[in-house]
Amino acid sequence: MKLMIVDDSAIIRSRIARILANPRLDFIRTIGMARNGMEAITLFMQQTPDLVTMDITMPEMNGVECTEKMIAFHPDCNILVISALSDKATALKALKKGARGFLYKPFTDEELVAAFLELTSS
Amino acid sequence: MKSINEKDIHSFVDAVSGFFAQFAEEKVEIRAAYLVEGAIKPSTFELTSYITLSGDYSGRVYFSAPRALIAHLLLMMQEPNRNDDRLLDAVGEIANTISGNARKHFGETMEISVPSTEVTETGWLDTVVSPRSYVILVKWKQYRASVVVDIQRA
Repeated sequence: MKLMIVDDSAIIRSRIARILANPRLDFIRTIGMARNGMEAITLFMQQTPDLVTMDITMPEMNGVECTEKMIAFHPDCNILVISALSDKATALKALKKGARGFLYKPFTDEELVAAFLELTSS
Repeated sequence: MKSINEKDIHSFVDAVSGFFAQFAEEKVEIRAAYLVEGAIKPSTFELTSYITLSGDYSGRVYFSAPRALIAHLLLMMQEPNRNDDRLLDAVGEIANTISGNARKHFGETMEISVPSTEVTETGWLDTVVSPRSYVILVKWKQYRASVVVDIQRA
């Protein structure tokens, strides 16, 4: 499965990429990373990933808007929102726009592995 | 403008504890949470980031820490690159996580910006504007850091 990582934080992007080295996730391959929603849309159109991790609070375009645009272009894409925004309304908004999962920051390696496995098994 | 209350501050204390809880072997100690009044100014360390609030709230939430604390965190996160850009990125991500987690209490009407970050002098924070801002002093391992909650309800 092709994965794209979208987050304005370089340490979060590289952390997610490192966690993907877990042998249980060897079916996932990172094909690109983006620092904001605009960059993410451009890359998404070129690569059409199967799986996206999506931050919400980003410059240029936020993750909810970005999710909506991606799903409009590729409805089968699995988008996992990874955000610090812990209010229920934000999670619901993202799910309504087509995200398939929501993981709160801060997260442990195990929580992210579990989230990927759950998302890709359904 | 209304000042925030103790319950509001507690949500930030919880968010700070929650952030450090991901590093299970060493718990964070909240040394104090006190009101900044009069001439007393909150202290800063070498790296500072802040989140600007809008919506039903205005003001900023600051996180400030020494380089050594942030470098140690990155080491625990197995981040191989620990140059200044990455350290500032990490400080910004911590401020973002603390503010974002506090929205569990405040709700979505507390809108938060992307983090701004800067290398600062160890000294005093001069940009606090609220007449009732709070400082949360943090100790993790041998390091100290501070969170300044300088917000008001519209």
